[in-house]
Amino acid sequence: MTLLQLAGVARSVRLPDGANLDILTGIDLAVETGDHVSIVGRSGSGKTTLLNILGMLDEPTAGTVTFEGRDVRGLSARARDIARGRDIGFVFQQFNLLPGRTALEQVVMPLMYSHGATFWRRRELAAEMLERVGLAGRLDSKPEKLSGGEQQRVAIARALVRKPRLILADEPTGALDIDTGATVMALLDEVATESGAALITITHDLHVAARARRHYRLDGGILRPADLELAFAASTLAVDASAEAALGLSVADASPTPDGER
Amino acid sequence: MARAGIAPFVGAIGEAWDELRVHKLRVLLSLIGVALAVGALTAVVAIGDLQRQFMAEMNDRWGGREATLTIAQYPNGNEPIDQDAWNAHVERVFERYDFSHTSRSAQTELLAGLPEGMTMVQARIVDPAFGTIHRVNIEHGRWFVPADTELMAPAVVISAPLWERLGSPSISTHPTVRIGGAWEGVYQVVGVTPKQGVWDQELRIDMLFDDFRAPMDALPTGFSMQHEVWLTAAQVGEIAPVLAQDLRAGLTEEFTVEVRRSDYGAQMGGDPMLVFTLITGAIAGIVLLLGGLGLVNIQLVAMRQRIREIGVRRSFGATGGRIFLAVMLENVVATLVAGAVGIIIVVVLMQQTFVVQGLAPGISDVPPFPFAAALTGLVAAVGVGAIAGLIPALVAVRVKPIDAIRF
Repeated sequence: MTLLQLAGVARSVRLPDGANLDILTGIDLAVETGDHVSIVGRSGSGKTTLLNILGMLDEPTAGTVTFEGRDVRGLSARARDIARGRDIGFVFQQFNLLPGRTALEQVVMPLMYSHGATFWRRRELAAEMLERVGLAGRLDSKPEKLSGGEQQRVAIARALVRKPRLILADEPTGALDIDTGATVMALLDEVATESGAALITITHDLHVAARARRHYRLDGGILRPADLELAFAASTLAVDASAEAALGLSVADASPTPDGER
Repeated sequence: MARAGIAPFVGAIGEAWDELRVHKLRVLLSLIGVALAVGALTAVVAIGDLQRQFMAEMNDRWGGREATLTIAQYPNGNEPIDQDAWNAHVERVFERYDFSHTSRSAQTELLAGLPEGMTMVQARIVDPAFGTIHRVNIEHGRWFVPADTELMAPAVVISAPLWERLGSPSISTHPTVRIGGAWEGVYQVVGVTPKQGVWDQELRIDMLFDDFRAPMDALPTGFSMQHEVWLTAAQVGEIAPVLAQDLRAGLTEEFTVEVRRSDYGAQMGGDPMLVFTLITGAIAGIVLLLGGLGLVNIQLVAMRQRIREIGVRRSFGATGGRIFLAVMLENVVATLVAGAVGIIIVVVLMQQTFVVQGLAPGISDVPPFPFAAALTGLVAAVGVGAIAGLIPALVAVRVKPIDAIRF
């Protein structure tokens, strides 16, 4: 079943001099329930703008976005907020944990916007989710007392606690070392697969991208299917101009760096 | 309402409380002004009530409780008043009315035996009911009772400065004081009245009228006395004219009988503490306003710091309305807590004897704490919180989630 579909999506912004800057052009993408998609692209390619549109945080200037068959543009801002909270989970590069809150409170936060039994059982559900990501013993730890890997695991628990249909991971390993990043991605894959949620990972890191079943590259605002073998060849040999060109990546792009996306 | 229905409100309250808990120091600093202002508002009303009662009691000590009728006779010509005959006349009239509290009262001077010798002191010549009518405070011992006229050694009540001059003897040791002149003899001190303040050095003896009258053949010419009757405020309007008529009956034109209310209630027009309450209330209102402005300022700065947090919350499903409600409630809950703290501090302070006696020395009936004023202060605080929360809440709602997350 198609969970999310983008058809001819474009996004442009008006510059101070009155000119239009096209960030995304003609994006077509269909994501099935339980799918795992990676999108790679260099800085400035429009990855974050695409993520915001996928997450109903931003609206396209052209084209349609449908979620479970419903045109997102037909939803009110409030309905989009509610749908986002219910169906989409975000994992950010910089974790974006709330300052001063314990791990349990971080994971309780999305449940504060739920209703019924989920709301009233929020602490219990959050504790179960933290246990699932291996942090049963750190429920009362605040972000400053957690390692980078642990913080990202808290962020994963937070993204999954409402059992979303879609998980959007924006450079999920961007602030982690290689080993910790690999562990965190393995966990994200596992938990997403377990819950049946679709996972879209936006990354610079080819190793992270390689974990997905389908791969795309975003270059100059245009989304195309990507061949990761070529990309790996480019990053390994560092001289294969054709491979570089094929993915729009450089070797430097293939390693984790802080995001400077538009 | 269904449990699911109240979830957003309960959730917003929970978020507001969490925010206050996490940012205790910021909240504390921003709310000191509000707590002080609410405390001040409540204190103003409480002190106003206390002062009003204090002034009433002070006036009661001079003019009697509400409603006291004072009856006096004055000569219109040169013919002196026969005080004994007048006294008998008044008492005959009083008998018809069956008043519960009546007293004769007069001021004079007596010679009292002090360690340094016989000294002239002030004297009040009264009946036992004078203590009730004038709300006489007693520091040691007791006031007169009707049976005191039967005592072998006549009873007197003395002022604290006189008591100190006598060496501050314990009343339980039955101290005495010698009085000279026509009243030559030893009198038992049964009670001591307190000082009105540190300035009060009045040497005074209170003596029962019958004990004062007994050694004399007749009350001296020129001796001025008056009768007092304590009535309820409802009775006084009806009784006073009839009583005056009865008292005047049978008297010649050479004398005037005056029947007037001498108590505080009859003399004071309006609320004497109104100006004090208005001025101090206005000051407290300004403090509350400034506290509110401080709160707005700090909350606006806090919003800048919390943009990312707001963005994260929005990305996890918080609607604009929910963010608005949470920020508003933060202010309302915070000012409610601050207001409650301010009120509790004032309640505790106003229960302290040193505070009450410092503000209203010698007060006997401390008025109850004005909880209506406390409630008003609390409502004012919540109102300020809501208004102060409006601007930061609008700022928070205008934050775009995309920009906020990347802030």
